[in-house]
Order: sequence, then structure tokens, then C-alpha cells
Amino acid sequence: MDYKYIEQLLESYFDCRTTLQEEQILRSFFSQEDVPGHLAEYADLFNYEVEAREEVLDEQFDERVLAQIKQSDKPKARSIRMRTRHFAPFFKAAAVVAIVLTIGNAAEHAIGEHAAEEDNVMAIDPYTKASDVQQVIRVKDMSQQAKTQTKNDSIIGITTQDERQ
Amino acid sequence: MLDFLHDILPLKNIIFRTALRIVLNREEAEDIVQDILVKMWEQRNELEKVNNLEVYALRAARNLAIDRMEKMDNRHVSLNSNVHDRPDSEAAGGDALLAKKEADLFIADTINALPEKQRTILQMRDIEGKSYKEIAEVLSITESDVKVSLFRARNELKEKIIEKKQLFL
Repeated sequence: MDYKYIEQLLESYFDCRTTLQEEQILRSFFSQEDVPGHLAEYADLFNYEVEAREEVLDEQFDERVLAQIKQSDKPKARSIRMRTRHFAPFFKAAAVVAIVLTIGNAAEHAIGEHAAEEDNVMAIDPYTKASDVQQVIRVKDMSQQAKTQTKNDSIIGITTQDERQ
Repeated sequence: MLDFLHDILPLKNIIFRTALRIVLNREEAEDIVQDILVKMWEQRNELEKVNNLEVYALRAARNLAIDRMEKMDNRHVSLNSNVHDRPDSEAAGGDALLAKKEADLFIADTINALPEKQRTILQMRDIEGKSYKEIAEVLSITESDVKVSLFRARNELKEKIIEKKQLFL
């Protein structure tokens, strides 16, 4: 059998002068069982070219992609996400103000109670010495100062937060 | 109106093989296909105007794959590690089958060792059977540039095949 035609095609192939159709002829030729010895070394190449095309993705892949497509098609989910993102800074600011106010109030309340207890001590014991009374008054003054301090702190806290926004 | 099952999903295998030839890593290639298909679906209204969806998809896939390949290089991920099943001595289903596997592996390794542009062009021409015009569009180069790269790729293969033959003589 004469292999001149195949030899010529092979030469053209390596010179990039073959058409797609001629390249297909080469692949068909080399896929047969009895390729002559002097051409056999090229069989691996053309057979690989055919086999490499059989590399495919399975149905599990399809399922994964379809699930993702459905997810991205839900308009509801998208609009909610956008709205949340839009108002997020305000929610954050509001939360910070709420926390600062709560802590401030709690502190004020605790100190106020403490001061009220001191008042009671004075009211119940009529025999308290003058020096003791003075001390109690001093303590009351201090707690008053502390109250004012706490209020200022909370105001400063809010201002800082506003600046950051 | 583009239909996902009819117009977009059927491109998955050619995108997969093209991306795999670039990143040389199956999971990464699969990930790229998924990204491209979903993105195409999200942009389906603009894609109505595209006349060759496959060329569009392959161009996007190649760009993404090159990007990922560079990132993988930076992370020192070993390429080529899970592209093929390496033949191991125990699982030999006869000598002929083992020889066939080794022959495939030799060709695959030789192609995968080529520069990215050359192996992508060889993949598109000799495995996918695409015209020079389509390949030029995907790579945004001229048809003669495609031929120059293809010439180098095919002749490198030829050289390696002859080298191997002489080694076994």
C-alpha cells in the first residue's frame, strides 16, 4: 500500500498548511490498528488529540451550576440585601448611641442609689456628730461630681461617634 | 432570549478543556467554568448582541484562567499534579494498556510544557478543531500570529517524538 498521501499530509500538518478536513483525515488514519512502522511514532500524537476531546464535566457539575443560577435569579433576595447594605451605617450609629446611653444611665442610676443610702443613714441617726455630718456631705458632693462626670463622658462618647461617621 | 440549558450550559466542556489546558488543575478549571457560565447568565441581556457566544465564552475563560494560573504560581501550588491519572505499576490492565497510557502521558506532558499561548492554540486547533479565524478572535491576535505559534507547538512535539524514538532504538 502507498502511503505517499499520508506522508504529504503529515508534512503539511507540521508546516501548518493542512485544512481542518485534512487534519481529520490524519486522525482517522492513525486511529486504525495497523499503522506502518515508519509512521507509527506519530500515532500517539493523533490518538491523544482524539482522546483529549473526550474530557467532559459530569451531571453533578450541572446540578451545582443550576442551583447557583436559581440563587442568582431570585430578585427578592437581591433587593433585601441591597437595602440592608444601604442603611447599615445608620443602624451601626444608632446601636453605638444606644449602648453609650444605656451604660451612662446605668452608671448614673448606681451612683444615685448610693447617694440615697447616705441620705438615709443621716435621717435615721439623729445623734450623728457634726464632723460625721460634714463627712457625709463631702461624700454626697463627690457622688454629685461623679454624676456630672458620667454625663459628660456619655456626651463626649456620642460626639466622637458622630465624627467617625 | 437566551436560554441557559440550550445556549449556555452546552459550552461547559469546551470551556473546561480550554481552561484545564491553561491552569493544569481540574478543580481550578471546574471552578472557572462555573464562574463563566453564571456570569454569562447574569449578563444574558447584553449577550443577545454577541454573534459567536462560544468565542465570547472562550475569551473570558482564557483571561480568567491566566489570572488564576498566575495566582497559583504565586502560591507555589504544584501544577500538573492532578491533570492525569498517573499509571501505577499495580493497576496495569495488561502491558498494551499501560503502554497506551504512558504514550498519552508523554504527549500530554509535552503539550503542557509548552508556553501558555502555544498550548492554548494547539488545544483549540488540534483537539477542538477550530478555524484559525475563531482562534485569532479568542486570543485577540492575527491569524498569522496563530499560525506562527501553532507551527512552533507542532514542531516541538515532532522533535520530542523523534527524540523519544531514537532513545528506544
